[in-house]
Amino acid sequence: MIKIDRLNKHFGNLHVLNDVSTTIQKGDVVSIIGPSGCGKSTFLRCLNLLERPDSGHVLIGNEDMLAIGTNVSAVRQKMNMVFQSFNLFSHLTILENLTLGPIQLKGVDPSAAKEKAMELLRLVGLAEKFGHFPEELSGGQKQRVAIARCLAMDPEVILFDEPTSALDPTMVREVLSVIRKLAKDGMTMLIVTHEMDFARDVSNRVFYMDAGGIHEDGTPEQIFQNPQKAKTRAFINRTRSLSFPIETEDFDFYGMNAQIEAFCEKQILSKRLRQNLLLLVEEVLQVHRPLLGRGRLTLTIEYSERLNRLELICTQDGPDRHPLEGDHLPDEFGVLIIRSLVESLDYSHADGQTRLSMIVRAGAPLGSV
Amino acid sequence: MKSPRPLWLAFLLIFLASLTGCHDGAPAIHTLDEAAHSRMGVMTGTTSEALAARLFPKADIKHFDDILDAIAALKAGQLDSVLTGYPTVFLATKRNADLTYLPDILSTEDTSIGVRKGNTELREQLDSIITALKADGTLADMRRRWFKDDLGPYVEVDLPTPTSGVPLRVGIIATREPISFLDPSGRVTGHDAELAHRIGQKLGRPIQFSILRAPALIPALVSGKIDAAITGMSATPERRERIDFTQRYYELRQQLLVRVDNAQREQGPSMGEKLAGSVRSNLLKENRYLLLVNGLKTTVLISIFSALLGTLLGASICFMRMSTSAWLRRPAIVFIDILRGTPVLVLLMIIFYVVFASIDISPLIVSVIAFGLNFGAYSAEIFRSGIEGVDKGQVEAGISLGFTRIQTFIHIVLPQMIQKILPVFKGEFISLVKMTSVVGYIAVQDLTKASDIIRSRTFDAFFPLIMVAVLYFLISWIFIKLIGLIELKTDPRRRRQRETQP
Repeated sequence: MIKIDRLNKHFGNLHVLNDVSTTIQKGDVVSIIGPSGCGKSTFLRCLNLLERPDSGHVLIGNEDMLAIGTNVSAVRQKMNMVFQSFNLFSHLTILENLTLGPIQLKGVDPSAAKEKAMELLRLVGLAEKFGHFPEELSGGQKQRVAIARCLAMDPEVILFDEPTSALDPTMVREVLSVIRKLAKDGMTMLIVTHEMDFARDVSNRVFYMDAGGIHEDGTPEQIFQNPQKAKTRAFINRTRSLSFPIETEDFDFYGMNAQIEAFCEKQILSKRLRQNLLLLVEEVLQVHRPLLGRGRLTLTIEYSERLNRLELICTQDGPDRHPLEGDHLPDEFGVLIIRSLVESLDYSHADGQTRLSMIVRAGAPLGSV
Repeated sequence: MKSPRPLWLAFLLIFLASLTGCHDGAPAIHTLDEAAHSRMGVMTGTTSEALAARLFPKADIKHFDDILDAIAALKAGQLDSVLTGYPTVFLATKRNADLTYLPDILSTEDTSIGVRKGNTELREQLDSIITALKADGTLADMRRRWFKDDLGPYVEVDLPTPTSGVPLRVGIIATREPISFLDPSGRVTGHDAELAHRIGQKLGRPIQFSILRAPALIPALVSGKIDAAITGMSATPERRERIDFTQRYYELRQQLLVRVDNAQREQGPSMGEKLAGSVRSNLLKENRYLLLVNGLKTTVLISIFSALLGTLLGASICFMRMSTSAWLRRPAIVFIDILRGTPVLVLLMIIFYVVFASIDISPLIVSVIAFGLNFGAYSAEIFRSGIEGVDKGQVEAGISLGFTRIQTFIHIVLPQMIQKILPVFKGEFISLVKMTSVVGYIAVQDLTKASDIIRSRTFDAFFPLIMVAVLYFLISWIFIKLIGLIELKTDPRRRRQRETQP
């Protein structure tokens, strides 16, 4: 029903949309997620030409929005939009907000339009507010009216541009349940959102957008539980990371420690976790010291906010050789300390790299008093 | 505005103050020597002005656009003397108990008809007519009838003038009784008006009068707006450089008008009598209130049509100003900047004397054009701020619902914009009404001009001014109320009260 082919859009030098192509079927509920500034909203606004793409094709049904001679306004009547800032017509009552389009654009008889509008207001639970003005409504109520205003035009597709971003947390739910109801009724929808849980249960497809393109496209299960791409995974798990490449024995140890502490503070990690991490880093370096001549060692600290998990990953170029086993160790003491500081420890070797990943213990080290 | 009472009170206070007169304390002048060091009023563009500078180099000379303003200043004690022609001196003293004049005749001037330089044919025709009128005693008879030493009614001679043929356009100053002034019906009359009619009779051409201010006479001749100036003009060498003059048709004596000493003045009438006298002479006598009524009509007419023209123009200019095309935007910006940076009086004179110099166009239309242009520049910016004040998100919402840009403008932007701009627009319109008071400069008889004409007959400075102030206030007040009604009509909150169950 919507076919998007090699869509490109620039804002000055910024390449916001880079050759975006996809197809959306009738009845699809597509959630579009991704970091801020990745082009989600621009993508949506290019579909109904609120932003004019620089190149590419947008086919709605059989109509090419970008072809010369297309009646863009007529196509927009079938593809309405709900905005982050509601954008209700402030000089009109709630009822008039709903009837203006049908009466003026579709030539609906005013009394029939009013009747239909009241029905839709009942659907979104705001029938008693019909004579009020938008400024007298709360944010959540305004957004429900905006959705009803779209529905009044009998659209085939509704585009939602961050419908809950401007709302208080208490009002998000009322708007989302209206959208859920529409999804159940089979409305085709594209929803740009930051509400991950909502995206997971309302949609049948999720686009993860990054760097001006649809980075990953899949079912909610696939995207949220088993993302295929690293960027998607990092985004889903809300992962922050910090890396240090270490080439020689003479690297700036104290500088690194300071950066680790700042990172921990920013992520609001507990004091215990931070201490464990710093101890672990020190011991791991101790263990690796004899191996430093063999190849570059990279320390990566990753924190997933969603899983509340702090991970230390050491990668080093070289043959398959467990760094915590073997005769290069001066004594067993370091390994013991490391094992007491981690929840789990995982070793692998791939592409000529050893990879040691440790999940830092949140409580007191094992065996400590 | 809940109640205009404080304003009425203010008007009343000013009015009462004007009746009592405020010149007590300033000593009166009795001799030319005293006058030589005093504050002296003259009218701009007259020979008195040059004469005063020559005879009284040490005097503090103040220049007025109208001799009536000078006389008012003299009465108020802001001047000690006014230098002007004899008929004016005579009438002013007869009609103001507190004014008198010094007997010294300071100069005798040739009064001639002014014509455009190089228009020899007309000048020779006029010269021969004047010669003939002198020879058969007509001019002497006219002098007796108009320049008389009593205040009785003027004896007018009925002169049949041609109604067809190329009209002779005659410029006059309408505030110079008995030389040229307006009678109760608003018709131009006086010694020089009769002369003009006699000339028309001899030439076989109808006479078309153009009422001008003194400084506008020569520009009007030079630009061809009028053919001849017959209004007690003195043929000075300076003027001869710009226009040509006929031979003189009478001599004008210049004298000094001064105040009567307080001590010498007999006990004046009571305030009530003064007020009744003012109402009689300024409003009732010769149905002078009709002048005010007609002036009022003209002022309202110019205001409304200028506002209509300006609003349409403003909308177009605003559209151009907001266009993405520089070819439309730049001229709009230039237009707005020039019009807003030019005094409207200057614009009015330029349009009348320069742009339409050789076209015979009603000054009323010129006024509407000038004020319309000015109002257009201001309203364009008001409209723009109104449009820019409308939430862009609502425009996007309209467009994404399927409205075209024009439909979005009509259904969503326009209603909100009107609500936003009406308060500013109201103020701008009221200031337009008041600005129109300068149209007298191009011979339109508006409210202000009507008061000038009344003042020229009664030599009463204050009463007509207060009357006009009250009338302007009334017009503005009515317009404020009317626009206020529109404001209420467009207010969505009022509309809801009419909304019934769907």
